[in-house]
Amino acid sequence: MTADTAPVIGRVVATEQLPAGPHQFHFWTATHTSIGIGAIVRVDAPDGRVVYAVVIDGRAYSDLVSPLHDVLAAEGDPAVTAPPTRRTEIRLWTGAVLRQIPEEPLQPVPLAEVREATAADVEIALRMDAYVRATPSTAIPVGMYTAAGMRAPIYLDADFLLGPESAHLNINGVSGLATKTSAVTFLLQSVFAHFPASKGRIAAVCFNVKGPDLAFLDQPADLDDDDRAMYAALRVPAEPFGRLRYFAPLKADGVNLNTLRSHEDLAASVEPLIWGLREVLDYSEVLLNRDDIDAKADAFLDFLADRVVGKRFDDDWGGRHLVESFTALERLFRAIFDGLETTGGRDMWRTHHIATIRKVRNRLLNISTRCKGLVTDDEGAHDLPFGAFEDRSVYVVDVAGVDPLGQDLVFTRVVSKLREHLERGDLGVEHVIVFVDELNKYAPGDGPDTYVRRMLLDISERGRYLGLVLFGAQQFRSQVHRRVVGNASTTVYGRMDMDELAMPGYAVLSPATKIKLATLPKGELMVRHPHFTQPIFLKFPRPASLAGRQGIEQFPPVADVPFDDAIARQLSAMDRRIVRARVVDLIAGRREDEVRAALLATRRAKPSDPLAYFRARLGAVIATTRGDAPDGDGLRSLKPVEDPYAP
Amino acid sequence: MREALARAGGVAARGAVEQRAREPVAHPFASARVLEGARMAALPVGDAHPAPDGSGFVDGIQRLVVDGHYGLVPVIRGHVAAAVLERVDGVLSAVATEFEEFLVVPVRRLSAPQHTALEQVGLAVYDSDPGARPHPIVDRYAALQVIERRRERAELAAAGAFLRARPGGWLFRDGSIGGLAALPGGDRVVGLVKSHETQFLDGEDLVVALTLPEGCRSGVFERIEEGRRPMLTWYLRLWPWSELDLLHGLMRVERCPGDHVIAEAGDVSRWLLAERTPISAPDARWDRLIYPIHEVEMYLRARVGGWG
Repeated sequence: MTADTAPVIGRVVATEQLPAGPHQFHFWTATHTSIGIGAIVRVDAPDGRVVYAVVIDGRAYSDLVSPLHDVLAAEGDPAVTAPPTRRTEIRLWTGAVLRQIPEEPLQPVPLAEVREATAADVEIALRMDAYVRATPSTAIPVGMYTAAGMRAPIYLDADFLLGPESAHLNINGVSGLATKTSAVTFLLQSVFAHFPASKGRIAAVCFNVKGPDLAFLDQPADLDDDDRAMYAALRVPAEPFGRLRYFAPLKADGVNLNTLRSHEDLAASVEPLIWGLREVLDYSEVLLNRDDIDAKADAFLDFLADRVVGKRFDDDWGGRHLVESFTALERLFRAIFDGLETTGGRDMWRTHHIATIRKVRNRLLNISTRCKGLVTDDEGAHDLPFGAFEDRSVYVVDVAGVDPLGQDLVFTRVVSKLREHLERGDLGVEHVIVFVDELNKYAPGDGPDTYVRRMLLDISERGRYLGLVLFGAQQFRSQVHRRVVGNASTTVYGRMDMDELAMPGYAVLSPATKIKLATLPKGELMVRHPHFTQPIFLKFPRPASLAGRQGIEQFPPVADVPFDDAIARQLSAMDRRIVRARVVDLIAGRREDEVRAALLATRRAKPSDPLAYFRARLGAVIATTRGDAPDGDGLRSLKPVEDPYAP
Repeated sequence: MREALARAGGVAARGAVEQRAREPVAHPFASARVLEGARMAALPVGDAHPAPDGSGFVDGIQRLVVDGHYGLVPVIRGHVAAAVLERVDGVLSAVATEFEEFLVVPVRRLSAPQHTALEQVGLAVYDSDPGARPHPIVDRYAALQVIERRRERAELAAAGAFLRARPGGWLFRDGSIGGLAALPGGDRVVGLVKSHETQFLDGEDLVVALTLPEGCRSGVFERIEEGRRPMLTWYLRLWPWSELDLLHGLMRVERCPGDHVIAEAGDVSRWLLAERTPISAPDARWDRLIYPIHEVEMYLRARVGGWG
């Protein structure tokens, strides 16, 4: 649509007190007007110059010079009958310039007619034309601009959202009202639908840090006609994620999954996240008290990692060890302590003092206790498919039920592994979006320097070169580390708290924009993007995936069950024909760790006959009583020796 | 002083300090014939009530500028504008406007080439006819008289258009009814006189009229003035005058003569009482200038803009 057909809704005015500048100007409209804060307008100068602007403030006033005059007219009675004549009133708006054509010479906005922006105007005003019409297009729909009864798609530039030009997205707003998770969910769907294949493959790793927020992304949600119309206009399929893998650690019992996605209809699709010694050792510093890990302990940890774990290792007393689990590590420690004791009470072993060895032993073996369910004493791990990530897939890691230390370990290891694989180019995809909520907590602006914060800082500052992109969310942007939010090229704001808006970081926003942010309805956002010279308000559809709260109502989580039932249920989830009685008979008299290992192996193998495979993995029954640990296995107490570092 | 006034039945006032006496009034007195009641009385108007929807308000403005001289002969350019704003649902909007730009010169004092040159400007040329001898002030005053007549003509044209277009619609004019009385529908015109330069009443009748309490009107009387069309009129006190000025909040309402005028005086007064709000402050005449007339002035000033 051209200026000839767009309706004139106002006229630019300028006075000495309110002049028109190259970046800001004022215009008036009729009292009844369709525009409001956030509306995009265009000004057509007679010389052909076109100015696009967004309305950032509005004022109304009448010819009443002093409020006292109104008091006088009403004779002090506010309830007096309404005046027969309404005072002449003005709607005076402030527009912030988005773009001028031609761009040079940059001049004050002409005193000309103001028109509502059309969809074509919106595209030009936000400089989206450069990437919407490029080949291949790097436009990622983020929502709909809606004003004056007009709707126009708003696109982000993938080169600036996902790299390499700039990257990362930060979303901000109060809990429950800002629809942060919904916005990110929709944006991921949009990215998967529109990210050009020529730019490479892309996947997302989402950390579910609270409740069931991301627990049902593969389940369809109810959408209304308005939502479906928006999906159609934005050319994003109104469907839940088709390729989704869900990972959650086990609970301390080692069989029940630590997730709210435990309904029997969905439980089979949840994969346990289980790490053993090999997975944890490189990240043990996350879990260890930094005050405890001095240079000597650090050296011993490196020795274990380099020389011992995963290798055939001979101790000095004729023993040969293959340490691939915490249990095997404990056997090695016991051999060392026994050997030192039997050889005359030596206090050094391979240049490491026995006190250092005891200290490291205590700290390491404590990990499997503190992170029970996530970290296993035994061999056998179940991990994210590093190296086999699939294009347009979502990997949800549910750490909502894990204690903070365990969460730190999960964040650090998963992101570090992603970075390692991306650096080597063998992850399976070239781009990974990492979604982390509650950045207030994980990357605070103040507080101790944690591994998680350092990891998030690293992604923020260097991730875009690797294809590692952070989508972060939090309630209070001002409380997140400045470099984490500052490196996010795209910032999204949902409903905001007024106290937060009073922080210096929001000083660039007009008072009217702040008020709008503080009262923003669900489903509406304000977006800042490198191509947009001013923040833009937009609407986005509800996610096509089931939201956490609705998911919990539709798929209520089941209670934890006893060991036998848990095993039977998980096998039954793999094959509906498997009945509880057969499983109970099969595992009767077995040690729990044996059963867990067989179950894990069956999960990993995904055999056509899970029960047969499970039976084969269990092997023949040996004469032990369930729950008893044979000699040499399990984590037994050490001999009672003097140990200043004993927990 | 206040005590002295009160002791002898006087009323204290908070008069503004003045530095010079006002110009003498050209026609300070005329006569009247009381029509409503045997003697003039203060009649309470009752509760204010807005005028009917669709009422119009007419006013005009004038501007002049001396564009130059031929010798001592001033060449004055005038601009007049008039408008009727109609009020519907409390909102005023212009429904009739008149604008005219013209030249005013003492034609007899111009040479033929000078006259021709002015006629070629493309504006109407009116003769101010100031007299035989040049006088810068008198010449200018004579031109002003012409411009005022053009302004009255513009108001007349705008008012006529409104009265034709809105049969049955009331029209309120700032000032005396004047020539509007001759228009078809002139019986629906209400003149709102604020100046009170000419006093028609005398004796106790004048005392009653000029000391009306707030919300009261005088009885209707016929205004009799030599050379002017007789009009029916009454005084109306919009705002209390106590401790202020006798004329504060005092308006004189004019109607064309008719049997219905006395019967309608109460309704018309209640309409005008309702016009106290919104007030036209900070205009110095806010106590007598009703807001819609003030808006007509504002509208015309905005339309004329920086003319000159």
